[in-house]
Amino acid sequence: MRFKQPKNKMNLPSIYMKITNYQLIKYFSIVFICLAILGVGTSSSVFAQTGEELFNQRCTQCHQIHVDGTGPKLYEAQKRWTDAGEGELIIEWVQNNSALRASGKSKRANKIFTDWKGSVMNTFTDLSKDQVKSILTYVDSQKPGGDAKGKDGAAAVADGEEAKDKEEGSGWLWYILGTIFITVILSVSGVRRQLKIVTSESPQQERLTYFEEFREWCWKYRKYVGIVSLVLVLSVLVTLFKTLGNINVMEGYQPSQPIAFPHSVHAGINGIDCKYCHSSVTKSKSAGIPSVNVCMNCHKHISGAGKPYEAEVKKIYAAAGWDPGAKAYTNKTSPIVWNKVHVLPDHVYFNHSQHVVAGGLDCKQCHGDMTKMKEAVKVQSTAELNEVEGNLKLSKPTLTMGWCIECHGKYQINLGDGKNKYYEEIHARLKKEKGQKTYKRHLNDNKGVSVAELGGWECAKCHY
Amino acid sequence: MYKLWNKINILFAIGVIATLGSCGKSDPDSPGLEYMPDMYRSPAIEAYVDYGEIRGRERTELKSKLSAMIPPKNTIPYIKGDSAKIRLMMPFLKPTSSMRETHGLFDWDVTNEDTYLAAIGIDNAIKMTTKNKTELLERGKTLYSSMCQHCHGEAGDGNGPMVVSGAYKSAGNLNYKDEAKMALSDGQMFYSISYGKNNMGAHAPLLSKEEIWVLVHYVRSLQYGDSYNGTVKPTASVESVPKAVATKDTKKKGKK
Repeated sequence: MRFKQPKNKMNLPSIYMKITNYQLIKYFSIVFICLAILGVGTSSSVFAQTGEELFNQRCTQCHQIHVDGTGPKLYEAQKRWTDAGEGELIIEWVQNNSALRASGKSKRANKIFTDWKGSVMNTFTDLSKDQVKSILTYVDSQKPGGDAKGKDGAAAVADGEEAKDKEEGSGWLWYILGTIFITVILSVSGVRRQLKIVTSESPQQERLTYFEEFREWCWKYRKYVGIVSLVLVLSVLVTLFKTLGNINVMEGYQPSQPIAFPHSVHAGINGIDCKYCHSSVTKSKSAGIPSVNVCMNCHKHISGAGKPYEAEVKKIYAAAGWDPGAKAYTNKTSPIVWNKVHVLPDHVYFNHSQHVVAGGLDCKQCHGDMTKMKEAVKVQSTAELNEVEGNLKLSKPTLTMGWCIECHGKYQINLGDGKNKYYEEIHARLKKEKGQKTYKRHLNDNKGVSVAELGGWECAKCHY
Repeated sequence: MYKLWNKINILFAIGVIATLGSCGKSDPDSPGLEYMPDMYRSPAIEAYVDYGEIRGRERTELKSKLSAMIPPKNTIPYIKGDSAKIRLMMPFLKPTSSMRETHGLFDWDVTNEDTYLAAIGIDNAIKMTTKNKTELLERGKTLYSSMCQHCHGEAGDGNGPMVVSGAYKSAGNLNYKDEAKMALSDGQMFYSISYGKNNMGAHAPLLSKEEIWVLVHYVRSLQYGDSYNGTVKPTASVESVPKAVATKDTKKKGKK
């Protein structure tokens, strides 16, 4: 008996296939072989696992897998020893390198010692032969270029560049469209004018110039022309007035920098405190731009994951005079010329340590959340700063005098918790005052004590 | 006269349009208009101002010279206080003048084995008493959170965000409770923080010597817990702990 096959509506070939017993066996055997291979693979990776643990515990202080660090890179170290004809001796080297050198068995041991005279390898007599082997196997199992971390960041940078290109491209498009549009209008009006001249019966002398024609037209529709020109004049005035208000407002100033330093990676992903690099913020009026040696504290060993990052880190190396190949300073340094973002006028005194140490402000309260800043540093607008947690809602543009005054007038100081020595002293002084007039006034307004009430609005505090 | 007026009109219109057009787009590279630029950039010496160009006048001899400078050789930072406090700021074992000239900043961490060995057996220069214990540890915690935490982790277990994120894969074993690190003397800890050791860079330019001693106290409190009273008996000796350093070869090398 034949079954009628259900008709395929789209007339596509059916995806079902008949499987014979023979094929079934074949599939099973293939699956079995695959599983077996996988099993062997995992068992070898278990072997490497202990190698990984040992490597991380014992070797990473000085060695990296693919790059030379305090000690040479370990990738294919085994192969290099075998190539030198001393494949077995590498284990003795790891266990006790000074004994191996003293025994004179190995030429390569002495060669490594002279090549790396800056650093002497620790002895690991507690590691067994198998453990050393497992470390070396693990290291060789880490193929170069298999590093996934940091790629996201690199991709993000590339995306940003692409977006920039697109923006610029659309700008050009507008210019071209505009030119075409104007050309079309001019040519059409020219044709229209010529036609008018040809068709008109008036003699040549009475022909009007462009401007006279325009004036006639304006007079004809004087009502509308008047309204439109009034609106135009008013809008020009308003814009001019607004432009005047923008003088000396730095909001949105985001100068390009010689090195594309991503604050989001350093302060965000890697959780480095702002005060690590800007270390003078607690001691001086200037927050400090980190000198290159601070960068080198980490970047000696971190050369950047992904191409765009690598190129940026190379600029640090050039500035510090660091030769990543030879792992040594070349003595040829050149300064990195950063562009100043928050430009304080010369006639204004501002002290970072006063605000951070005595005032207890967090960096992000004035500079925005750097852990999210992927691009160059920007002067944050007041609207953006108002979003920051714990910030007062201010209205004046950032970095203007109005902004300072507004915050000093509103910001409430915690005088009495006894922890802040600076305010404690002022508190004591207030209590000493005869009749405690000021003190009582501050207490009676039920608003607490603002910076302004402690002299934060004195002209000479900032201008002298 | 009439025609001239027309021309002025047209010019004005073009001017207005041009001004409007220029308002439309803002350049992030421009700080905007200023009222009195010469009051903003005066020739008085300030930090991070390049005096190679002031008010349009270029002075090549000053270009990139005055903005960030290295402290003069053989000087110590001045801090208020008695002679004991000032003595804290004196060079620790390794005189700064031994560094190469261009690398006043960079060559801190070339380990000099002799001075590192000399650091064994030196105790913390700031004595911890029952009175100043809480203050010292509190200061230490603030310093630790901004200077050390991103690698060594909040609890000192070596799981800082930088290590966890995988950025500093080569950091190695950063756990303070590691046997070898428990055995370090205060002086060795100071030496490592100040001049750098293994993969850690030098922190002398970031921290004053007084701050480093405070940090050593705090790290000790992480190692030994609340019972830490400012005195531990580290087992470090020239023979035992730093195996690599104490081998005969290194000693020879140090003298070279």
